[in-house]
Amino acid sequence: MDLYPAIDLRGGVCVRLVQGDYARERVYGGDPVEVALEFEADGAPWIHVVDLDAARTGRPANREVVAAIAGAVGVPVQAGGGIRDEFSAEALLDSGVSRIVLGTAVVEDPRLLRRVAARHPGRVAVGLDSRRGEVAVRGWTESSGRTLPEVLSAVEDAPLGAVVVTDIARDGMLTGPDVKGMAAVLNATRHPVVASGGVGTLEHLRALAAVFAGGRGLDGVIVGTAIHEGVFSVREAMIACAP
Amino acid sequence: MIAVLDYGIGNLRSAQKALEKAGAGAVLVTRAGDAAGAAGVVLPGVGAFGRCMEALRETGLDRAALDAIEAGTPFLGICVGMQMLYRESEESPGVAGLGVIDGAVRALPEGVKRPQMQWNVLVPERDDSALLDGLGPEPWVYFVHSFAPERTPEVVATCDYGGEVVAAVERGPLWATQFHPEKSGPVGARVLANFAKACS
Repeated sequence: MDLYPAIDLRGGVCVRLVQGDYARERVYGGDPVEVALEFEADGAPWIHVVDLDAARTGRPANREVVAAIAGAVGVPVQAGGGIRDEFSAEALLDSGVSRIVLGTAVVEDPRLLRRVAARHPGRVAVGLDSRRGEVAVRGWTESSGRTLPEVLSAVEDAPLGAVVVTDIARDGMLTGPDVKGMAAVLNATRHPVVASGGVGTLEHLRALAAVFAGGRGLDGVIVGTAIHEGVFSVREAMIACAP
Repeated sequence: MIAVLDYGIGNLRSAQKALEKAGAGAVLVTRAGDAAGAAGVVLPGVGAFGRCMEALRETGLDRAALDAIEAGTPFLGICVGMQMLYRESEESPGVAGLGVIDGAVRALPEGVKRPQMQWNVLVPERDDSALLDGLGPEPWVYFVHSFAPERTPEVVATCDYGGEVVAAVERGPLWATQFHPEKSGPVGARVLANFAKACS
């Protein structure tokens, strides 16, 4: 299970939100590029970057910072947030990002997903963020009215690199991931699955690394708050993620 | 100075940066003449084989690549830049590659997810490989590809992906990797440092 340390960007700086609430933002100091280079130096195999401003508005606000991170680090970068048209998707993929995460766009414009994924097989992930069983959109500010299994089955035949599944209620809370829910996702799709939300201890990581369903385990886990708050280091997390 | 051939396909900034971190001066070169006299030449590549070959020929940089290889200049092909060294690819039938390695590029084995887009571990085959020097045990590297070259005598490392997949080749100063050294963390950095050393 690959570790994806997360960098969430708002106004060009690293922040974390609690349960996706833009009013509950904590700012983590430092140049985002420097933070990414530290993650890389600690051995992270991926860097996960989210443009929170764009996630809410659909307008790229931190794209130059995302491109600067992708150009600076020697590991692949996965980036998401507010990619709702082909131009934004192509621009990010062309800026050196290895994989983009489409969220709202998948629910609102499935043809967009199919077109971009067909042109860049494996380089597109679907980000599904659920709250009380429904997939949320627009930076988690609205519900789509569709369930996780419904959306998963709709993207089953697209050439995706991964599905990134986030439990909004747990995100930024450090209270533990939805281990059972992740097993259900593994059973519901053949795509690689990356878990996100709620990891607060190394024990949580070990629990996710042990998930096995549908003949396989999780492909990766995104960890933000726990690393930024110094609960554990990237190095410690890497060991917990190894089977 | 290492010339990174920039024929308009994909973003080459991370490759250039990674070479610089490895201690080599690297410049993006868009005209064949500008690669002449370089201490080393890097041929990157992403996307489809046919489209890359077409762009390489249109820019005249195919000539720069062939001249460098013929002159024995240290040369590193990366991903589709590796595949273009072969005669042809199943991905784009009828499109000739550079043909400096006598083999073809084939689709990854049936039954595996394509592309292989993941970290995978190299299985070295030769102790005397300069490309693989000092990589340590279990060298993990990052792959993004749906096609890979068939086995030829130049193979120095493979990986396991639904069967044996060619991951690196070396014939004197001619090196190539199916994985992306510029995205492969410390192992990739060592490969690039090895290349920089070969260029110095």
